[in-house]
Amino acid sequence: MIEVNSLKKIYEVKRREKFFFIKKEKIEAVKNISLRMEKGGIVGLLGINGAGKTTTIKMLTTLIEPTEGTYTFDGIDAIAHPDIVKRQINMIAGGERMIYWKLTAYENLWYYGQLYGIENNLLKKRIEELVKLVGLEGKADLPVETFSKGMKQRLQIARGMINDPKYIFLDEPTIGLDAIVTQELHKEIRRLAKEKEKGILLTSHYLSEVEELCDYIYLVNAGELVFEGTKKDLTDYVFSGNRYIFSVKGMDEAIVIKLRDYLRGIDFESEVEHLGGNAVISSKAELSSNIAAFAVDEGLVINELHKVEPSLEQAVIKLSQNIENKGIDIA
Amino acid sequence: MKNFIKVLIAECHKQHRNYFNNMLIYVSLFLWPLLSFMASYYSYKAFDVEGSIVSYISGGNMPVFLLIGYMGMSFFRSVVQSAWHFSQERQGGTLEYIYLSPASRIAVIFGNALSSVFEGSVAMVVFGMLLIFYNKAALNINLFGLMAVIPIFLCASLCWGAFMNACFLYSRDSDFLFTVLEEPMEIFAGVKIPVNIFPQWARLISCIFPLTYALEALRQVTLNAAGIGDMKKVFIISIIIILVLFSATLITIYVVERHMRKTGNFILF
Amino acid sequence: MDLKVLRATIGKEFQIRLRAYPVDFMVGCILTSFYTVFGAWMMYHYFFRKRLATDFADLAGTSDYMSYAIVGSLVYLFVVRTCLNVSRRLITELREGTLESLMLAPFRRTSYFVGNMILQTIMTLGETVIAAIIGIFFGLRIHEFCLWKFITAVLLSLYGFFGLSLILGCVMIYARDTYVSQNTLFAAIFLVCGITFPKEYLPKILQMIGDIIPVTDSLTLIRSAFFGGLSTDRFIHIGIKVFIAGTVYVFTGLPLMKQLEKITLEKMEG
Repeated sequence: MIEVNSLKKIYEVKRREKFFFIKKEKIEAVKNISLRMEKGGIVGLLGINGAGKTTTIKMLTTLIEPTEGTYTFDGIDAIAHPDIVKRQINMIAGGERMIYWKLTAYENLWYYGQLYGIENNLLKKRIEELVKLVGLEGKADLPVETFSKGMKQRLQIARGMINDPKYIFLDEPTIGLDAIVTQELHKEIRRLAKEKEKGILLTSHYLSEVEELCDYIYLVNAGELVFEGTKKDLTDYVFSGNRYIFSVKGMDEAIVIKLRDYLRGIDFESEVEHLGGNAVISSKAELSSNIAAFAVDEGLVINELHKVEPSLEQAVIKLSQNIENKGIDIA
Repeated sequence: MKNFIKVLIAECHKQHRNYFNNMLIYVSLFLWPLLSFMASYYSYKAFDVEGSIVSYISGGNMPVFLLIGYMGMSFFRSVVQSAWHFSQERQGGTLEYIYLSPASRIAVIFGNALSSVFEGSVAMVVFGMLLIFYNKAALNINLFGLMAVIPIFLCASLCWGAFMNACFLYSRDSDFLFTVLEEPMEIFAGVKIPVNIFPQWARLISCIFPLTYALEALRQVTLNAAGIGDMKKVFIISIIIILVLFSATLITIYVVERHMRKTGNFILF
Repeated sequence: MDLKVLRATIGKEFQIRLRAYPVDFMVGCILTSFYTVFGAWMMYHYFFRKRLATDFADLAGTSDYMSYAIVGSLVYLFVVRTCLNVSRRLITELREGTLESLMLAPFRRTSYFVGNMILQTIMTLGETVIAAIIGIFFGLRIHEFCLWKFITAVLLSLYGFFGLSLILGCVMIYARDTYVSQNTLFAAIFLVCGITFPKEYLPKILQMIGDIIPVTDSLTLIRSAFFGGLSTDRFIHIGIKVFIAGTVYVFTGLPLMKQLEKITLEKMEG
């Protein structure tokens, strides 16, 4: 198990101003982050603005040292023994970089395998397996520059597994990939966790991806953890209450305003927004019968009225709006 | 040790595959030194060459003197170039993966320099042939001396390359380092002007460049038929230089890694 | 010439320069000039102990080797800096991804390049002055200064260099490379254009190559403005040659660039 407590990272940055002048600045990229990764589990790391996600990953992968905090890796102090950690982790980043384009897929994997000191026969076998796993059979001896985006990305995945790591850090792994490849990749990530018992940490801009894959989510804002829990915990936390979508024939602003006044008479704190031709209602109270009654009273023809489960995306957007409006509010 | 050699060979192979079929290699190994060689050669024509005070230089073997200089220069340049390529791995993001692995950094860096020593050797053979073809009469070679000088020459360039690699790891402004190091080397290492006519202060600068000793040794054995006995001093200095460079490389790698772990400096994106 | 575009280009480039002045690059160029001069100084004073070849004074038009070489290296610095910058403009826009939006605007290319050239000239002038001051320590002396010759020589040179930059820019855009093409061209200029020695020392074939690069003749003109050694007739004759060469370069360079822009944008799709 990976466990970090109260991680903090302060960078000292030199910035060149006009001509020769250099200004030193201290930047607190990560203020206080604690998290856990377990074998067989997928955790998501989401960031709002200037979150410090990248810095956190770099600390977890021992590329940089935290300024403060503790990091235990399967019972070992990881800050003191980065070499032990390095053998058992790997990272897979999205995008087309980070592999050698002039080398073939096989040569890329061979090279990285050598860096991990893997015995040649074992490495040979492993490369064959990985190539098959990521569906690059028959392409392994072609230079990477001839590959499509998706193929390069798949090679990245094979590369990230070359040392058979116990823990894998996925940094935006599906960026720029099409829907089909993304689907396959998701399947693979789930398989890695559930069947192969790998501990996985995923960061992504695609919140639907995190929603689909992650068992547990950490939400970071400006270097601080603002929330942790399952997706359900998060939506419950952000939207305490119910949300309804309501639309009628000839929906307009006037109807929305009328509805708002009507519903506020029942629940003073209820909200009604006019979004995409629908009224979106949120309230702590159970309002569906009231909304239907409103439509009947006003003689409106209902097109749609249903209760919605908020998505992770809506929760995160809402939460970041809350943060902007009220300042940080830690769960 | 086994892992060290594995990484060394892998890095060497990767670097070779990644850059050797690049046109840049040929241009920088052959065309540029040739153009510079010619420019220096013709600039000598403005002078009364017979008036030079260096024993083994006369109008006749001047081109050979220069050609050896540029051959050495091209060799050393190729290792610096490899370091420059290496620094590009930072932009490519692959450097981060190397640092993510437990591989020995020293093996990576030396493997990298080693691949360019190989490339440099190809250039050296070509220049050597050119030399023999061009002016055999001007050569006055001591074969044993030459046999002793070549390995030292290779080791010196390897260590220089490794040291450059380590420096380039540290600096973001690798282009700048390149300009600052490349041109002074041409002048101070005695590529076109023999070091022994330098004023004292300039000789001090020459000391920094291992190419200075490598060239002096190479010229002595090829132009002056100097034997191993005559070259003792140069050999000893070269070995010291090699050791100094080697330790400087180790220290730099250590410092760089510590610095990077502190500042996370390898993230450019 | 579209003055609006010209002004906008100068303004934009000036802002870029002001915010992120390529200090390293400037220092690098001044250093290059310094090393060239320093090398010449070592050769002259230490290696050959001031003994020049008998034909040097005739060919160079002066017997002051150091001043000859320093002026050469200053002009070389100037060429490298201006050419490089103007030629690299478009490929930089390509790399930074601004080329497409630039091409969308229906503006005059000529003004864009001239704007760049003017700004770069002003910037480089400052650097050349620094290099010249260093040169004085190495023995730069002016023997027979002639103002009208100097002004004529500089204007003609700028015209010629501008043409050269356009052609180099075309090569860069076509080859999608700056490093190899620029360094090869500069090494070639250093060899064939008589930067530190009279070009007459070169074999005939290299002299001919030197003749078609405007830098050679520009340098002759500028040197004569400082040291004399060239009759007015000869000066005018060479001046006309530079003008013609520059014109040929500019008028092949501009349409060629336009052609290449199209090709580049097509390639970008693929």
